[in-house]
Amino acid sequence: MGAGALTCLMFVVIALNAIAAAAGLALFAVAIWVAVDGYKLYPISGVSGKDDIFAAAWIAIFTGFAFFLTCIYGIFAALKRSRGFMMVYLIIMFIIFLFECASAITAATNRDYLVGNSNLVKKQMLQYFADSSTQGKQITQTWNRVMEQVECCGADGPSDWIQYNSTFKQMFGSTYIWPLSCCKRLSTFEVEDKEGCMVGKASTIFPKGCFQHIESVLSRYTWAVSWYGFSVLMLVFFTLVIAMIYYMQLE
Amino acid sequence: MKNSLPSLQLLLIGVDSYLPGILLSTDTSQVDFYSRIYLHPCYKMKTNTVISLMSLMSIWMWTGEGQIFQPELTSNAFLAKVTSNTVILKQPYCVFNQPCPGCEIWLVAGLCSANGTFDALVNSSTTNILSLSPYPTAFNPSSNNFFLTRVGLLSDFPCNQYPNDRYFVVGADGICSGVNCNGVLPDGSTVCFKYLLIDANRTLINSSNWSGNITLPKLLPLQTIYDGLSARSGAMVVITTILCVAAALLLLLFLIMLCVTCCRPTKKDSKQISVMNSIRIPRYDTHNLKERVHPYDNPAYQSDLKNYSTSSTLPKNGARKL
Repeated sequence: MGAGALTCLMFVVIALNAIAAAAGLALFAVAIWVAVDGYKLYPISGVSGKDDIFAAAWIAIFTGFAFFLTCIYGIFAALKRSRGFMMVYLIIMFIIFLFECASAITAATNRDYLVGNSNLVKKQMLQYFADSSTQGKQITQTWNRVMEQVECCGADGPSDWIQYNSTFKQMFGSTYIWPLSCCKRLSTFEVEDKEGCMVGKASTIFPKGCFQHIESVLSRYTWAVSWYGFSVLMLVFFTLVIAMIYYMQLE
Repeated sequence: MKNSLPSLQLLLIGVDSYLPGILLSTDTSQVDFYSRIYLHPCYKMKTNTVISLMSLMSIWMWTGEGQIFQPELTSNAFLAKVTSNTVILKQPYCVFNQPCPGCEIWLVAGLCSANGTFDALVNSSTTNILSLSPYPTAFNPSSNNFFLTRVGLLSDFPCNQYPNDRYFVVGADGICSGVNCNGVLPDGSTVCFKYLLIDANRTLINSSNWSGNITLPKLLPLQTIYDGLSARSGAMVVITTILCVAAALLLLLFLIMLCVTCCRPTKKDSKQISVMNSIRIPRYDTHNLKERVHPYDNPAYQSDLKNYSTSSTLPKNGARKL
């Protein structure tokens, strides 16, 4: 290969590495956003033991930053026109590629277990809401916050509390049909109409279910890690193929 | 006291209170009724008043056709109208329209299979029917399977008001221990209700019809919810397959690249023109610069230097004699 073509190839490798470094840094930032869990829905996945979305986010934090560093090193290695450096670069990039693959696949697969349909979330709510164990307290707090902020009740609707036996029903069933978080409140946080809410009057209770919100949040986390990770990996794949060609043309 | 009072008989009772003595027979045919009015001695004196009374009565009869005479489910669209152990009924407005000072309306709530038991007990026993079947033991296996609970004073449910949004929750007291408390019904049973008019001396004055069968849904245990994997989403399949293929392809390309670069030296030799014996490298320092660098070597052959740096790589046959 002529010197001119080699130089051109070198510039292509450098440009792709620069883009991949930026993409890796963005992956790092997005994965931090997921791990921080701004919507505070971690207990729903943590209590059921299926918190791999967040584990994948942690992996993506490390791989994103590693991509950034390694691609900068790759720019340096390409400028040096050194086979040894390029070989090290390729090996490290390949290892990071495998880890990032694992992260993307894990997040996508685990999401299907958690929010494929409302059963798991509903069963967990019925079992742990108002339970006095640590998990029960976490779930109770999470559900109360979701029901009050998103203005919803139950997983598919208030009828979940009527149809199924639950810890809440065992403990408070003679006074309350469903939790007071299901009731509409005034701006002073007082329940607007407690009698009407316990009877199920449509204007005093939140009739829709919370599952849609929970599913959309967890899906948002998953697609951030998994689809964005996938797109970074496609870019890195292309970069590595070009880098391998460049390596073969060196010397 | 008759349990069911068709509206015509009620009309007769009303007329009887105004025109005394008219209800001399139990014949309730309409022709006889009107003839008895017209032939009544007071008829001539009270013709106009009778006509106005009749019109009022007919209007009342017409409105009376809409009167409920049995407990009914509330007409509101409450989400908890019928749960596994509670029921929401309409309040008993205009069920008992007779004047009865100090009377109360009570509700009989029980399994529909116990309707006959209750009726028989009421007809036969003279004791206080309110304590016939106390709530705590009401639904035990060998018990009567009904209980009585107080709804309110008769005066609280006048007939001139008819609010449809008022309701009464059967089971509002939860699992309680009073004799006549408003406790929950058995889970998933078929229940029937009846109103009773009880006076201040705790004697039964009147009772309504039995309501229709109301089947309570059975409470499902939460273990019946299957929370395993429901279905794999398309996105997950796409991501997994494409990434696995990409990783495998990358590994393959990497190995090919390693093979190509490692095997290159031998391939290069066979392709390149081998140095022939006729090429001669003049060496001018054979005598004094053996161990050190050779400054007189031809720079055109600099790249071939490593091929000839040791004696083993020098052409064995040496220069051919020209």
